[in-house]
Amino acid sequence: MATTDVNGALERDDIQGLLASGYGHLREARFLLLEIDDPTDAGTWLGRLAGELTTARAKSEGSAVNVALAPTGLAKLGLSPALGRFSDRFLDGMTVPHRSRALGDVGADAPEGWDWGGPTTAPIDLLLLLYAEDKGSLSKLEQRLLRAGGGLKLVQRLDTHWSDREHFGFRDGIAQPVIEGLRDAPPDDTIKAGEFVLGYRNEHGQLTDRPLVSRAADPEGVLPADPVSGDADLGRNGSYLVLRQLSQDVRAFWSFVDGATRDADGRSEPDARVRLAAQIVGRWPDGEPLVLAPQGPNHAPYPVNEFRYHDLDPDGLRCPLGAHIRRSHPRDMLDPDPGSDRSIALDKLHRLMRRGRTYGAPIVPEAALNGGGDEQRGLHFICLCANIARQFEFIQHTWLNNPKFNGLYDDADPLVGPAGRSLTVQAQPIRQRVTDIPSFVGLRGGGYFFLPGVQAVRYLASLPAVVAAA
Amino acid sequence: MANVRTVNPLLTGRRAPSDANAAADLPAPAAERHAPRQLTVTIVADIKRPQLTKLKHALEAMGADPANNATLPFAALPRTHFARLVVLDPAADEHGVPIEPHLVYMADVDEPQDADAALERCLEELADVAGAGLDQIFGACVGYPTPSRGSRARRLTFLRQHAVGTAAEYVNTVGRSVRQILQENQLRVAIEGFLQQRGDELRELSPGEVRSEIQYFVRGRAEPTWALSPPPSPGLGDRIKDCADLLALPVGLLALSPVLLPALPLVAFALRRDEKRDPDPRIAPTREHVLALAEIEDFGSQNQFSAVGFLKTGLLRRAIADVVTYGIDYAARHVFNHSNLAGVKTIHFARWVWIDDHRRLIFASNYDGSLESYNDDFVDKVWWGLNAVFSNGVGWPRTRWLFFDGAKAEQPFKDWLRRHQVPTQVWYSAYPHLTALNVENNARIRAGLAASDMSTKETEEWLRRM
Repeated sequence: MATTDVNGALERDDIQGLLASGYGHLREARFLLLEIDDPTDAGTWLGRLAGELTTARAKSEGSAVNVALAPTGLAKLGLSPALGRFSDRFLDGMTVPHRSRALGDVGADAPEGWDWGGPTTAPIDLLLLLYAEDKGSLSKLEQRLLRAGGGLKLVQRLDTHWSDREHFGFRDGIAQPVIEGLRDAPPDDTIKAGEFVLGYRNEHGQLTDRPLVSRAADPEGVLPADPVSGDADLGRNGSYLVLRQLSQDVRAFWSFVDGATRDADGRSEPDARVRLAAQIVGRWPDGEPLVLAPQGPNHAPYPVNEFRYHDLDPDGLRCPLGAHIRRSHPRDMLDPDPGSDRSIALDKLHRLMRRGRTYGAPIVPEAALNGGGDEQRGLHFICLCANIARQFEFIQHTWLNNPKFNGLYDDADPLVGPAGRSLTVQAQPIRQRVTDIPSFVGLRGGGYFFLPGVQAVRYLASLPAVVAAA
Repeated sequence: MANVRTVNPLLTGRRAPSDANAAADLPAPAAERHAPRQLTVTIVADIKRPQLTKLKHALEAMGADPANNATLPFAALPRTHFARLVVLDPAADEHGVPIEPHLVYMADVDEPQDADAALERCLEELADVAGAGLDQIFGACVGYPTPSRGSRARRLTFLRQHAVGTAAEYVNTVGRSVRQILQENQLRVAIEGFLQQRGDELRELSPGEVRSEIQYFVRGRAEPTWALSPPPSPGLGDRIKDCADLLALPVGLLALSPVLLPALPLVAFALRRDEKRDPDPRIAPTREHVLALAEIEDFGSQNQFSAVGFLKTGLLRRAIADVVTYGIDYAARHVFNHSNLAGVKTIHFARWVWIDDHRRLIFASNYDGSLESYNDDFVDKVWWGLNAVFSNGVGWPRTRWLFFDGAKAEQPFKDWLRRHQVPTQVWYSAYPHLTALNVENNARIRAGLAASDMSTKETEEWLRRM
């Protein structure tokens, strides 16, 4: 049993590859939500899978496989709930009433109405993430991995449709944090490993709570030893994975911005329409931020992500203070010292590694405006973080869904917020305000998962046999 | 928008038509001649153990409608900013000595204008508004007069006898009354409605002209005596008291310096030795406890926090805790007395109260946002202040030289808070839809309406507050 080093280099061989890469070169992806039928068979299956998992060591060639588990999956494999310290939010799950309230999963978005992951749908124990270059290889990969006898039952297959734009037509996934030590990145985006990978120091210089098990529970020494307690470190090189299936109503989005920008005679104004849509997002459709290109896209070389807000636009005159990207990632706008490195340091405590993929065929705005857009489409939102409460839930509750964000009054996130919200567009001499914005994004399912390190996967896989022997 | 009548008094000299109001009529002028101070009312009484469960249920029923419930309708106490009723379960101190369960009533109230005995007046109002409701609440407490004999005077006597002083209090903005907060929000809503209705015309004007239009609109709608004049300032008596209070600390320190200066290194040494011996345990709250707390959180823009903990034993910790709470109270009065507590702008009111013969400390606050964001503000911004006071409490993450480390240990700190937090059975806010930032912004809109000699830049900044 090796002892871990919380200050040491990232153990890339043990870290699942999704933490290092979104596998953008692998255009086809499929997420399988599975229930464990037979823990013994599932353990054997998981043990074999451990050897096939894509790690952060090298670029995955041809295909990639990662795996994550729900609390029920860990329990079925035989992990004693008394051991270790998982995140409370992970253990409680996304669907308990107080979390639904905090996350804004109410009304039509409440878990009771979800397609999967809700209180009335089949339990989900395990999430298998598959990536390949083409559809044929992806299907072969799925067939090979899910051969009969794995002790697993497929609950839901989440297919994806490759695009670097989300369905409203905006380039997505531009602002991404980079794990320190993984590769070079601008300082504002370089984040301590412990914000995403358990077992390393986070932005506080501390270790995020992670599950440990007694050494007696790991007699083979599969897991590394925690240097402080001497316990076996189940969390090391792991992370938490948040999955939410967000449905997007493209027609509702473009119809609303079209209606809100018509001229006095009721005629559509395409330029004004795109402008309002860009003010909702904070970027033009090609991804250029309004704060750098307030008049219109300059068609600057993509991607444009090195900017702060305070010097250029402290009052929101270029990009509205409530725009989606100003609240999901406020950069240097946080109190008490907007415009300072201290503000950036606070922002770094609330970053997410986004790994989502779109699903459903894309539709252009004009087609949606002409009555199209009834098909199911949206985003399988996936993010990774070490602290669900301080990262994912904080952003969702305190920034996106909070109508009081940035000193505003009634402005929840204009893109993803609940129906009835406003968007204040700061301007001279007075602001414009778009009111009664309907809901454009729905929630069809969701869950919190644990994305273990490879050795931890091996350990978990060995548990059913131990339980059976006892 | 096109069919809205163009009314521009700058150009036409006409008065704004009375049907142009876009929101509810503005309220009557503020009655306060002077800005009132805010008073913390705290009442602590022992609960008869057999009645504990029944009382909790009764309070939870009240808590479903704190403003208008039949027992104690807080909305009928119009000078009350925030109020709560909290049950402290039976406990035992470090020697195993049992502590009876308590019922704690806490309210943040504007002082009546012309009262010498402000607390007495507040208790009278409480007794008058709640009436027999007080019997239902405090009837479960030791020493409460039996209902048949529960006259007003007896109820008042009980309240008076169980009123407890405050060790320290924080008021977001000293002197800003409930009345002012509500009125200024109505003023803002009316102005926003005007802007929404007339936006297309106003956008053609200069900032100064827009401001004139807004002033003209308000003059046509409101009682100009309040909306177009600044809020009341503190009375002369209060200002003299404030000044004396401000000077008392430095003068006192100077006078005592021959004693304090030699003692300080000794205290520091003793403290450091104590800190090094601190057990620094890491104890997680139970899932059941966290669930009970989470179930009554995050219903709106504001949240409540109530916690109680034991002071470490020994004179040293007690002396430090007393000095620090005095210091917090002083700083809250003279330094952090306007919308900003050392970088934290989301706290409306907070207080520290000693109970059980100085063995336990209650901390209660009213804040904006989620507990997670509130805790993060502590960890990131005011850890030093929390350490200074709470490190004298049992189980706090270990500090260094009183101010350092401690609350900076994010997860042990968050565990400590959750473990010491107690459910707030009844919680009332007079303005639950307003954050502290909203309240401050509203006040600045009103102030800008009244101000003379605004530069173009100042006018532009003022208009951005809408």
